[in-house]
Amino acid sequence: MCDERHKVNVTCRVNGREYTLCVFPLMRLLDVLREELRLTGTKEGCGEGECGACSVLIDGELVNSCLVPALQVNGAEITTIEGIADGDRLHTVQEAFIEAGGAQCGICTPGMILAAVSLLGRMPEPSEEDMRAGLAGNLCRCTGYMKIFEAVARVCQKTGTKVNA
Amino acid sequence: MADNQKAVGVSVPRIEAREKVLGRSVYVDDLRREGMIWGKVVRSPHPRARIVHVDVTEARGLPGVVAVLTAADVPGDRYVGPLVKDQPILCSSSVRFEGDAVALVAATAEEVAETARDAVRVEYEILEPVLDPIAAMSPEAPQVQAGGNVASYSKLRRGDVEVGFRAADVIVEDSFSTQMIDHAYLEPEGAVAEVDAEGKVTIWVCSQYPHYDRQEVARVLGVSLARVRVIQTTTGGGFGGKFGSPLVSCYAALLAARTGRPAKVLYTREESLRTTVKRHPYRIHYKVGATRSGKLTAVEARFVGDTGAYLVVGRAVVGKSTSHGAGPYEVPHVKMDGYAVYTNKAPAGAMRGYGVPQVAVAYESLLDELARKLNLDPIEFRLKNVLREGSQTATGQTLLHSVGVAETLERAADARREMTPHLKTGKPYLKRGIGVGVSWHGIGAARSPSQATAYVNLCGDGSATVLCGSVDIGQGSNTLFSQIAAEELGVPLDQISVVTGDTLTTPDCEATTATRVTYLSGNAVRLAAEKAKGTALELAAKHFGCLPEHLILARGKVQVPDAALEISLTDLFKKHAVQQISALGVFSPDCTPLDPETGQGSPHATYGFGTHVALVEVDQETGAVRLVDYAAFNDVGKAINPQAVEGQIEGAVAMGTGYALSEGMIFDRGKILNPSFATYLLLTAADLPPVRVGLVEAPEPTGPYGAKGVGEPSMNPVAAAVINAIYDAVGVRIRELPAVPETVFAALKTRQPLPADR
Repeated sequence: MCDERHKVNVTCRVNGREYTLCVFPLMRLLDVLREELRLTGTKEGCGEGECGACSVLIDGELVNSCLVPALQVNGAEITTIEGIADGDRLHTVQEAFIEAGGAQCGICTPGMILAAVSLLGRMPEPSEEDMRAGLAGNLCRCTGYMKIFEAVARVCQKTGTKVNA
Repeated sequence: MADNQKAVGVSVPRIEAREKVLGRSVYVDDLRREGMIWGKVVRSPHPRARIVHVDVTEARGLPGVVAVLTAADVPGDRYVGPLVKDQPILCSSSVRFEGDAVALVAATAEEVAETARDAVRVEYEILEPVLDPIAAMSPEAPQVQAGGNVASYSKLRRGDVEVGFRAADVIVEDSFSTQMIDHAYLEPEGAVAEVDAEGKVTIWVCSQYPHYDRQEVARVLGVSLARVRVIQTTTGGGFGGKFGSPLVSCYAALLAARTGRPAKVLYTREESLRTTVKRHPYRIHYKVGATRSGKLTAVEARFVGDTGAYLVVGRAVVGKSTSHGAGPYEVPHVKMDGYAVYTNKAPAGAMRGYGVPQVAVAYESLLDELARKLNLDPIEFRLKNVLREGSQTATGQTLLHSVGVAETLERAADARREMTPHLKTGKPYLKRGIGVGVSWHGIGAARSPSQATAYVNLCGDGSATVLCGSVDIGQGSNTLFSQIAAEELGVPLDQISVVTGDTLTTPDCEATTATRVTYLSGNAVRLAAEKAKGTALELAAKHFGCLPEHLILARGKVQVPDAALEISLTDLFKKHAVQQISALGVFSPDCTPLDPETGQGSPHATYGFGTHVALVEVDQETGAVRLVDYAAFNDVGKAINPQAVEGQIEGAVAMGTGYALSEGMIFDRGKILNPSFATYLLLTAADLPPVRVGLVEAPEPTGPYGAKGVGEPSMNPVAAAVINAIYDAVGVRIRELPAVPETVFAALKTRQPLPADR
């Protein structure tokens, strides 16, 4: 037991590694990642689930980590931006973001990449409409989204699938 | 660059792209220092009040609280501001807007600091706020600032508008208003400060101008500039809102200096939306005249920019409106009057476009009205009046080069033709229309003299370091600097390191604002690299016994192409006992200040231009407007990195469409009702159609490789194009931004019957 005044043990896997953490049950997953695990690639843009900068995958589902209490991820598998590349080898979505110019200031980029990974996982051949809907939960103030769409389209080209108009 | 490779004019990825996609870039919130404390700001809930008493006893007594500071604890100057020092770091006697800072607390944990913030008891005598900027101009209005509510007055006088209107066959006249919007970068403001054993202060901050932050921190702490170092962290967007981040820098510095511990102050989204600088809301009145043949004869306008509680840069913003208010057109008679007015609202400051988007939407609306009355096509009408090489602007400046606005209009006509088949919706309640907006933007601040400086250190292996004070805020200027240096020095891009944004090591280059970095700082980098190369070639010329002009530098070697000879820089440096070649590049644009009485002068060395075309769909049953297609043509002089330029323009289209259709701070008696992304509505990926970007390159001879800049010129015409498209669709003229469904619906209810042809 870890009770320093009502903290609880939470066991979860983050980017393939298992952690047992002693945290307050309502601590935001965002803070667990950033403060406890020092995985600062996950960003806070609004703290109320509106901007998507803090997007991570929980058991493969795209979520805003600012809205998830720590207790809820007990037993879960979490993927953050730090777990997307395979060591030094970038994920195709990351490569495509570089090539297409999908990152400008970069603060929305980690969440946007997770949203794109999630979208392509669900729909390997997204239409333009699917792309717009699939990325609509992630705000970007710099790019106007065009280069981000282009990045997703590039991934499809690389993997042999195509974007349906 | 070597082997005929070019670094300029090529779409290269951002030099920091890899670390950004890996989530490894370090933003201010990612910093944590040993023993760090958290600061929070106690803010006024009232837009205007007298501070009767501040009781910090309870807050000070909370376990974990290490500091509670009020104005009396500020060791140096208590007021900051880029033009006028009118904004208190902490208010002592009165508060001037909802969110004005009254006290500063710090604790060992963020939650404790929040509790302490809420435990500071402030007794206010609530006063009636000054909210309407027009009413604020009356001498009877309560004074927001001691010097009166009219903070600035700028004017432009060219010819005689009475003569111009007498010569007009058609005159249109109308009033418009635009709303307050927020920059809404995804990274809120924040800073971390630390004091070393010698008492020197280091601040890490997301900022567009670390050297300015250093000035304000030094003044507020009462120490010399040399004792303060400001380091810009990777900055998650700026758009003018981080044109200096003096307040948050000062808060972190005050707490660190007071406690001796590293201190972090990070604004919440609500705090950012409620209290940081905004885009000026405007009240605008225009009168425009033209002859039957479609030549503009006169433009008269009056602008009132609501600058909120503090001036920040309000005087300059409204000044830009008056110098740009006649648009990129030849107009013989122009009269402009612009006022920046204090009210009890969040201060308005710099925001992308800087007073131009506001006036462009009004002016371009009236140009469409004029075209309609003259039975002229809106693009043809504009082409009859548009600036060309040799034209004089309304400030009396003759533009000799790089006036690509006509070409942007011609290409816009093609884009409009391509959109026309998509005007039909097949549903009677959905109407589509196409609108055009044209605008311009002077490159660099209208200030003379203005200057940019950069150092280039050329190493023996041919690689080089660029040191420049102009910071990258996401737009890609560090990449641009590396491209320019690589081009001059004949090395691949990865042989250039760029250092920016550290006041200890980089020269003050003025702010990353005013679309000035490509043109001014890009020139400084190019000049420094050219000078470093020149020194190397002179050394080599001695070695070879020839003239430096006959030599080229590429990939770390000086070559004599005619004689197939070469020497490596390493050998050359060794021979002359040179360790590295350091060169300074300084660039000052050729401008003359505006005459304060007539507004005449040459405020900018060069101008960016753009014509944008929007296809919108209006739902007549709800008033909702949807962007269906968009094409943007901008004259950028030369696109040094075309992909980055396109990214700027596409981002501007999203921001400008949000300005036209959805964004706006909503007030109730001076209090902001929507300090949240749930209620302050940014456009999402689902709201934007594919945006087509066309680059026009009318080279600017004084620009680096002909480049001018694009950040603001791409923003200015967007709302105008969208609003004109709404008129084309449903025949209603939106005079009040944003064109939210309620506004459009109300306008539809009062519209005149449309001609039967659509």
